[in-house]
Amino acid sequence: MPPRTLFQKVWDAHVIEQLPGDNALLAIDRIIAIEITTPQPAAEIKERFGDRYFDLSSIVAIIDHVSPAKDTETAVQGQALRTWAKEKGVVFYDIGNNGICHVVTPERGWVEPGITLICGDSHTCTHGAFGAYALGIGSSVQCGAMLAGAIIQKRPKVIRINVSGKLLPSATAKDLALTVIATLGFQGGTGAVLEYHGTAIQALSMEERMTLCNMAIEAGASTGIVEPDETTIEYLRGREAQPKGEAFESKAAHWRTLRADPDAVYDKTIDIDGSAIRTMVSWGTNPGESVSIDARVPDGDAASLEYMGLRAGTPMRGIEIDQAFIGSCTNARISDLRAAAEIFKGRKVSVPTIVTPGSQAVKRQAEREGLHDIFQDAGALWTHSSCGPCLGMSMGVVAPGMRIISSTNRNFRNRMGTGGRVHLATPVVVAASAILGRIATPDELPAEVPA
Amino acid sequence: MIVAGSVIALNQENLDTDQMYPGKYLSLITRKGLGHLLFEAFPRGHELLEKNPGASIFVTGENVGCGSSREHAVWALADWGIRAVIAPSFARIFHENCYSNGVVPVVLTDKAALDECFSAKTLEIDVDDEIIRKDGREIAHFELDPLRKDFILHGGFLEYMNTKVDVVRAWRAAALSSRA
Repeated sequence: MPPRTLFQKVWDAHVIEQLPGDNALLAIDRIIAIEITTPQPAAEIKERFGDRYFDLSSIVAIIDHVSPAKDTETAVQGQALRTWAKEKGVVFYDIGNNGICHVVTPERGWVEPGITLICGDSHTCTHGAFGAYALGIGSSVQCGAMLAGAIIQKRPKVIRINVSGKLLPSATAKDLALTVIATLGFQGGTGAVLEYHGTAIQALSMEERMTLCNMAIEAGASTGIVEPDETTIEYLRGREAQPKGEAFESKAAHWRTLRADPDAVYDKTIDIDGSAIRTMVSWGTNPGESVSIDARVPDGDAASLEYMGLRAGTPMRGIEIDQAFIGSCTNARISDLRAAAEIFKGRKVSVPTIVTPGSQAVKRQAEREGLHDIFQDAGALWTHSSCGPCLGMSMGVVAPGMRIISSTNRNFRNRMGTGGRVHLATPVVVAASAILGRIATPDELPAEVPA
Repeated sequence: MIVAGSVIALNQENLDTDQMYPGKYLSLITRKGLGHLLFEAFPRGHELLEKNPGASIFVTGENVGCGSSREHAVWALADWGIRAVIAPSFARIFHENCYSNGVVPVVLTDKAALDECFSAKTLEIDVDDEIIRKDGREIAHFELDPLRKDFILHGGFLEYMNTKVDVVRAWRAAALSSRA
């Protein structure tokens, strides 16, 4: 057999048969069913296919986007998922025990190396951090997978992203993600999987790998994927959905074999020097429109500049903001909150600031560590877990014209509220900016005020 | 199958699904009757809809449908009356969602032909023969995925998946026994 990429090994292990037009029938191991995109396919299966499912044990249901309900529509939606999950007997995370599906699924151990996983949410690429083929899909494809245990796909191309060297202490996985997108372009990954390699990737924690893979879709890529290693195995050991003892060790032994062959051929290779990664911030209306925080607003797309209310040449540092948000499937895991808390400690925010943990488990851990006190002492609003304002659904959307610095993944027009202007950044940049009321890095902050 | 009708042209790259269907309406659990929410938070798009009632073909720029996987965007387009989208490139999930809902996704990279589409009042898309005509004149060929084209012409993406259940079960059983 010719040498293969990691992605190709996972793909090949799931091809059931070839179909016309270069398509493959691809077996799906795990379906994450969320309240936003599951009621429609569930109704379809009931009405048209006698309520027959391929394998209910492959499904994990999570109340995810709006938690708890904020109005009648979201109450109906949550109840639709709840009733369905209980009736079908699928694993279900209800409010109180839930969070953002891309945080809950890994922390409970439902994703693992070598599997195929789908969810009706574009940020499903997050799970590629584990060496899984993880794909965001629409409700119809989810319906087909619930019915037949498979999807139809053309094999994507594979772009190797080599990140050599070592990230500086000031550079985070989010900065790396934004650099990859700015390098490839917002559409540069279309039709491809981004396979991350290199010493800087190997050095990332699982939470950092999730942040990196989370934004693969923002380069248009189908997903991202990272080789599983001891970091992956140690993360999964002891998680709720994983077996214990010998059974786990035998799975881990298989995971260790999931590596790209040394001579594997890629459709394209991008080399990035890890030590050259700088703190990034977005200026425009898609994540590809990002620059180093030390740069000036570029002479970019006129419509983006107009929407954002920015002039080319203005230094990114110093742009005044109206609100700050730390949350989302990109940057609301415990390590993100710890990093932000370091900045908030002993300081006060100067603009409305919301900190929303990625899951209820993250919330409880943060509170055990006293992080909630640090956020609240600083004057930030500490909430329960939800997608919140990231996609403009609840809990802190902005008004037209308001400028928000956010640890989320999309700075699209109207995304976090109609007319809202979003700057994407890392949790520590969001925290420093919240304190100073303008786009800033932690090194600009005056020394900590003694308590 | 012929999709013929008047055209809505929005010459913009990266028209994401948040613009087509705002996140705040993702709380609706139906797939029907969402047309009135199309472009609801996107003034330019909304004006175009008002100026072009009854249009059935939507022409736009590169990377249409990027961002969120929400199939609501295609449900809203289809419910409003759009039966085909013409663009130089499609984001992956949106592309698939178009096929799943019988909205013809026409990838048209030829710049001159695309310009003709942008300036057209009406167009005719011959789905069977994969040809676009303007004023009775052939202006471009395009290619559909043969398998998914069949879903558009004869419906039945889910019916097709349903025919695969036994194949997938047999494959699963074989995979399990080879592991044991």
